Amino acid sequence: MAKVKRQLAMMMDLNKCIGCQTCTIACKRLWTRDEGMDYMWWNTVNTMPGAGTPRDWEEMGGGFKDGVAQAGRLPTRREFGEAWEFNYQEVFYGGKGKDTHLKVVGDEPEWGPNWDEDQGAGEYPNAYYFYLPRICNHCTNAACLEACPRKAIEKREEDGIVVINEDRCKGYRFCMEACPYKKIYFNHAKNVAQKCIFCFPRVEQSVAPACARQCPGRLRFVGYRDDEEGPIWKLVEKWKVALPLHPEYGTDANVFYVPPLAPARIDEDGNFDESQPRIPNEYLISLFGEEVLTSLEVLKAEMAKTRDGKTSELMDILIARHWPDMFGDFTRDPATIKWVEA
Amino acid sequence: MKAHYLAKLDLDAALDPQAKLWQDVGATSLKLDGTPLGLQPTGAIRAAWADKQIGLVDNVGVKAVHDGQNLAFHLVWRDATENRNTVDNTSFPDAAAVFLPAAAGAPVITMGAPNLPVNAWYWRADDLRGHHVVAEGIGTTDTIDYKTVRARGFWSQDHWHVVIARALRVDSPRVAQLDASISSGFSVAIWDGSNGERAGIKSFSGDWQALKLGAAPAART
Repeated sequence: MAKVKRQLAMMMDLNKCIGCQTCTIACKRLWTRDEGMDYMWWNTVNTMPGAGTPRDWEEMGGGFKDGVAQAGRLPTRREFGEAWEFNYQEVFYGGKGKDTHLKVVGDEPEWGPNWDEDQGAGEYPNAYYFYLPRICNHCTNAACLEACPRKAIEKREEDGIVVINEDRCKGYRFCMEACPYKKIYFNHAKNVAQKCIFCFPRVEQSVAPACARQCPGRLRFVGYRDDEEGPIWKLVEKWKVALPLHPEYGTDANVFYVPPLAPARIDEDGNFDESQPRIPNEYLISLFGEEVLTSLEVLKAEMAKTRDGKTSELMDILIARHWPDMFGDFTRDPATIKWVEA
Repeated sequence: MKAHYLAKLDLDAALDPQAKLWQDVGATSLKLDGTPLGLQPTGAIRAAWADKQIGLVDNVGVKAVHDGQNLAFHLVWRDATENRNTVDNTSFPDAAAVFLPAAAGAPVITMGAPNLPVNAWYWRADDLRGHHVVAEGIGTTDTIDYKTVRARGFWSQDHWHVVIARALRVDSPRVAQLDASISSGFSVAIWDGSNGERAGIKSFSGDWQALKLGAAPAART
């Protein structure tokens, strides 16, 4: 396991995510516009329950079980979703605008990076869903790093960010098999694996990652895990409401989530039914482990406190009235920096 | 195996696996085995390949010619699928390499060892360039350049025909320098892309095979 001096982390409050994909586009415009990156979305937001990106990624294996590496499989381009080409020319400039409509050129798509948006599960009036934003988890026990036969993946000593050294990468893709979160893409033009870099060039200048800083919902908190004044430590260690996704994957992820509370169920008579949750506990446990139930209880109790007019440190943090407080040491405005393209 | 001596080796011609010069050279058949699972360098690779066969290609026919300046290997092996491109994340190109010791005592089984480099002349079906590679242990391969080694492949009727060539002596410190007066060793590795073979997942001919460069006939007086 790579030893690091400090570990950066992100915490996302799923109760605040509105699925607007601003994070996704912020990342796309900043990092994945070069050759071979057209189908890459280092940041994705998918509707849960759902098959997500790549399709059925939770069934693809990888990670560790009891410390032992597990076999994983490679997601295909179609499972991620191709970068479709559209018939813009024909519709807008070809004089056929009245005969045809905007559509994908080539094979009919079967999947995409946000294909099952807002489908969710359950039956009216008790249907449910929530949005799950995902980036690379910059794991403490990174399966990708362990899997690479060339030591092309490094966990940065100063901040624990996991990066792929594209000079050493030979495009073998063992990392993609081993990553249980399936958050690594293959660049077919450059023959290298690529993934979220936690915006390290921004972080090095005290600027929060683009997905976090651009988030209109104020749901992404950034900071060092050991910073007891920062939001990450308070949410993960002190209040214990923020949990890693699929802890059973054994990689010790450094992205955390406040689990989603849902409105009360509606019974046959149209009244609130508080006897059982709208989102089944079993489902949330399958995502976040047994601790999710405690987390939800703490959240409910603190919300009740504020409804009674009392104050709650936890609610104050999660509401994030003062926006820069979400970003620990990383509050610098990127517009104050003169960026130079490498 | 003896590399057949030719008075003049026209490399451009010899790179064509179907060139007439190759028809006059006898082939040595080498048995290939999959690399052992235990030698795969990471737990994730061992887990992924625990129930899969490593190394689908079990035999390669090898010919070699030289003219005192350049050495060319001609490899033929059976492979029912021509994997030339990486069309999807799950597809891998077919490939082949000839290994030569770059230091006395360099072990080929572990791709060399620290300060005991192994030199690989590598061809890959998706690349027109030959790769000049050096390694000092598993997972340490470095591609020095893409011009010193020349290679060309041709697939037909369920077989790859590949020629890989290089000058006997090159201006590079960590690679094999060959000489007609000394015998060396060589080893061959084949990757079957259709089986997901890449990196240490391959068929190989095991420990060094003897390689002698045939001498020029004594000049008549």
